[in-house]
Amino acid sequence: MTPLLQISNLHASIDDREILKGINLTVNAGEIHAIMGPNGSGKSTLASVLAGREDYTVTAGSVVFQGKELLDLVPEERSREGLFLAFQYPVEIPGVSTANFVKTAVNEVRKHRGQEPLDPAAFLALMRERMALVEMDPSFLQRSLNEGFSGGEKKRNEVFQMAMLDPVLSVLDETDSGLDIDALRIVASGVNALRRSDNATIVITHYQRLLDHIVPDFVHVLWNGRIVKSGDKSLALELEQRGYDWLKQEAAVEA
Amino acid sequence: MSQHSLVELAQSRVAVHAEAAVEAADGRLGYLRREGLREFVRMGIPTTRHEEWKYTNVFPFIGQDFTYRPTHWGSVSAQNTMPASAKEIASALGQHVSVRIVDGCVIVDDSTLPSGVEIIELTPELVENDAAIAGALGSGAPMNTHPFVALNTALLESGVVLRIGKDVRVEPPIHVSIETSDSTSPTLITPRLLVIAEQGAEVDIVQSHHVFGEATVLDATVVEFVVSAMAHIRYFKIADDADAARSISSVSADVHRDATFTSHALSIGGRFVRNDLALRLCEPSSQGFLFGVSLLADHEYTDNHTVVDHMVPHCHSEELYKGIYDGSSTGVFNGKIYVRPQAQKTTAYQSNHTLLLSSKAQVQAKPQLEIWADDVKCSHGATMGQVDEEAIFYFRSRGIDKDTAKALLTYAFITEVVEKISLDGLRELLTRRIARKLSTDTLLS
Ligand SMILES: Nc1ncnc2c1ncn2[C@@H]1O[C@H](COP(=O)(O)OP(=O)(O)OP(=O)(O)O)[C@@H](O)[C@H]1O
Ligand SMILES: [Mg+2]
Repeated sequence: MTPLLQISNLHASIDDREILKGINLTVNAGEIHAIMGPNGSGKSTLASVLAGREDYTVTAGSVVFQGKELLDLVPEERSREGLFLAFQYPVEIPGVSTANFVKTAVNEVRKHRGQEPLDPAAFLALMRERMALVEMDPSFLQRSLNEGFSGGEKKRNEVFQMAMLDPVLSVLDETDSGLDIDALRIVASGVNALRRSDNATIVITHYQRLLDHIVPDFVHVLWNGRIVKSGDKSLALELEQRGYDWLKQEAAVEA
Repeated sequence: MSQHSLVELAQSRVAVHAEAAVEAADGRLGYLRREGLREFVRMGIPTTRHEEWKYTNVFPFIGQDFTYRPTHWGSVSAQNTMPASAKEIASALGQHVSVRIVDGCVIVDDSTLPSGVEIIELTPELVENDAAIAGALGSGAPMNTHPFVALNTALLESGVVLRIGKDVRVEPPIHVSIETSDSTSPTLITPRLLVIAEQGAEVDIVQSHHVFGEATVLDATVVEFVVSAMAHIRYFKIADDADAARSISSVSADVHRDATFTSHALSIGGRFVRNDLALRLCEPSSQGFLFGVSLLADHEYTDNHTVVDHMVPHCHSEELYKGIYDGSSTGVFNGKIYVRPQAQKTTAYQSNHTLLLSSKAQVQAKPQLEIWADDVKCSHGATMGQVDEEAIFYFRSRGIDKDTAKALLTYAFITEVVEKISLDGLRELLTRRIARKLSTDTLLS
């Protein structure tokens, strides 16, 4: 089986400062991977480089996504190929309604797949159904995208968009931060509902409590631009107990 | 036509009328013409050294040999076909009252005139016999400070008076379509409108300008509004986007007790558009709302000069202008607010926001607040920026290409002002025109 995503020796820098220093990661269809690690270790940078943010320069390595070199594609092509990033800090867009934004995005993806645009009634029905998945009120559709949304509402909106776009690989960057306990459960069950044997998810998080709901097959620790430890879900529990210091020491010894 | 020949033109027209009537007897209209001429000669054609005309340079075109098309009244039979751009507006308005001024010839279709609405020819007799009209004509237009208002007034021989009777709420909008059809020689037109909304009247007026052909058209339109107590006027001014148009338009409005005047200056293009808007809140509890949208590209130019004069206590004004400038276009916004010493409890807000889409585009924004009363709430805000790169990335990460993302975000920037357009058909038309200009159809779904 060819992996869905294969990251090999990925190096990336910003303003000549190297942030990713050789990432290796393989994700197969049907898997859930958790990436943890101290603040500033490069988790969001990895997510951004995968999504194609142009501020970062990839200096070495490759990312093969469903047999294609992802790094050769512009961000919109990556999305149309089935990559989805749920942002740690979703942008507020005054003047563009959530409904219009999502409709435009979905139709772009459909066009790419050679499908007809959805008719307005079918679209509305689909949006309502997918909003229900994250218990988002349909009134959000008419509001400007993320404008004035609470932290938790923004995160739900990200998962709603994920549900609408039906991606092959989703990268959730701290989608749990800012969520209250109920919302955490709701968002997690939304993510689980979208789980299939032909897609995969990478969750970036600091907390075990998310992983109680979204149970990972693998847990990786990113530190100082490298994955310094990988394990199964018990690694996350261990981190919860012991923190990161022991890993930093291990990594320092190895380096 | 140099300044000299414009003066000569005005002189000769004033002289013709002075001969026809004994000087003393040619009444208010004759007086206004002579005053207009005197003021035009005194001020001359404004150079860019003139503070109010710093960026609006008329000299590149003013020297042409203009054929003057004086305003006069014609009949419906003289009606020639409307240019497509005017038709588009007319059909967007649905049922409406049509007033066309074609090469100076006023054509009123009064078949759809609702009762209580008069559209009448401005004549010396009318001015002599109707005290309300005599009092209003020339009282708001800034003839002593605006050279082209002075020129228009010097050439004031005929015009259109629109009067909405007491408590009449006019359902269909009134479309004033100012058209110029001569495509061979440069043309000068000086349309003049006086709109009187009597007590409690309510009306929507849509004014659009259309130029056929390649030859320059200097369009010096002057519109005066009297908004009587409890009356409400909504006024929409749509700039021509023809390359040959040189539009210098001056609008003034006197707003009385409990009345409102709402204006929309809509420039979706235009090689040269200069809008002056002077609002006088002259009785307590009057309100003014001033909105503007400029969406320019290439070498287009729009200059909005606004003056809001709070003359008395308890009035409210709100001003929101947004401009998007691409290519080598230039936008100017100059917004004055005066709050006179006696105008306590004034609330006056002004904001002007700019989005620059190109490094060659320019904007000049100048808010001027002169506040002489102490118990007031006034504010102004101005921003200037580019399309947010973070936002573009967000769109792209959802499969929306860069150009569409830019267009959507650009449209989003002005949508707040477009949404203020209360006439549904007109708002939809504007949205279509904006979409066309931004070359995207995603806005329309
Ligand atoms: N645009 C940027 N300019 C300069 N430095 C940056 C930029 N983006 C990221 N960095 C730096 O790269 C490092 C990694 O940042 P990143 O956001 O990837 O960390 P993270 O692991 O997601 O942290 P957190 O857990 O706090 O979200 C940090 O030191 C950060 O300051
Ligand atoms: Mg982060």
